[in-house]
Amino acid sequence: MANGEHIIDLIPAYALDCLDEEDFLQATEHLAHCETCREELRVYQELADQLPLALVQETPPLHLKQTLMDQVRQKDNQVAPKGMADDRPSWWSRLTNLLQHNAPVWGLAGLAVIIILVFSNILLWQQFNRINSSPLPVIALTGTDFAPQAAGTIVVSRDGIHGALVVDGLKPLDEHLQYQLWLIRDGARSNGGVFSVDTDGYASLYIDSSSPLESFDSFGITIEPTGGSPAPTGEKVLGSNL
Amino acid sequence: MDVTSFDDESLLRLIQHKQDGALSALYDRYQRLVYSMALSALGDSALAEEVTQDVFLRVWKRAETYRSEQGKVSTWLVRITRNRSIDMIRHNSIRPEAHSVAWDDLPGRDPVDDHNVEQAAELTQQRQRVRRAVLQLPAEQKEALALAYFQGLTHQEIADQLGQPLGTIKTRLRLAMQKLKTSLAE
Repeated sequence: MANGEHIIDLIPAYALDCLDEEDFLQATEHLAHCETCREELRVYQELADQLPLALVQETPPLHLKQTLMDQVRQKDNQVAPKGMADDRPSWWSRLTNLLQHNAPVWGLAGLAVIIILVFSNILLWQQFNRINSSPLPVIALTGTDFAPQAAGTIVVSRDGIHGALVVDGLKPLDEHLQYQLWLIRDGARSNGGVFSVDTDGYASLYIDSSSPLESFDSFGITIEPTGGSPAPTGEKVLGSNL
Repeated sequence: MDVTSFDDESLLRLIQHKQDGALSALYDRYQRLVYSMALSALGDSALAEEVTQDVFLRVWKRAETYRSEQGKVSTWLVRITRNRSIDMIRHNSIRPEAHSVAWDDLPGRDPVDDHNVEQAAELTQQRQRVRRAVLQLPAEQKEALALAYFQGLTHQEIADQLGQPLGTIKTRLRLAMQKLKTSLAE
């Protein structure tokens, strides 16, 4: 059953989780103190995880996604903590209140203009996406020694000069500090925007650059005074090289 | 924001923050893998749909439980799908049938609708390697492998199901996995 001191013969079945109880107990006991067999098990588990790739890939019915998304949105609405965490009115209601109370006529005209702009923007985006379906460049940011658990991603838009930054695992900062993104080319650093993270260490930032993002050599994120600095002054927490 | 080109881990981070567009993108990317696996295990399209929905609902509710050090997002999805399918087999007392597992013998016919082309290319390449390796196995080894992996049967249960001696089943499975290991390492 066992091969010498090790349990090499049991490991493939252990990875498939198909050992009967006696063999399973024997293997588990051995694995608890044998690094060699644990490594062998890791290899076989990776192999087992790939088996579904060898199946005929069937497509589920189209309605399944709609049902899933409906459930997700329904659950999301149910768990929304009304009046608990956030009693503030939305930006939309604040805007409409402001317009209604201070300048009713101009408010309505302004609203009409905003609605037209929003819809035309959506239509333009839809057309743009239909025209160009090529993949978007993605740039990974990795945490420095100062923030080893942090990670970030920049996705460059199709026009090349805009992008979206998503970061995770960054420490929330005091009020007088913010994170600042730097776009680096030939050693010169230009401001890419400032942001703060939520209690989970997550934030996203829209990047608006004057030149193509892929023309920069690298990107970095430092801790700066609130509002940002003209040049980096604080600790670097994330960085990338293109 | 168009998230369809985001990598899997970025999508999961967005899902943690309840951005349903990210779940939609992840679903589009892995719906076939999850559904095909559930269908192979259960042999019933209605149950496979139920499992597929459960898997992605679990991702929506529990995205924060994913740990990148334990494997890729696709691996995490595969493990959730396998566990959920086997739970359903046991709960519904479904009779295992190895022939319901459809190993692909025509590599390269997958539809690729992933907007993240690099990831799609990587996955397609990996699929082809695994398929080639599985196709090289003798039919009886593939049959035992399907009963163990997709339907969660033990050595003894497979032996009973196929009417073969226990030792024969143990050997078939061990040889199958060893051959796959060798083929995929080449």
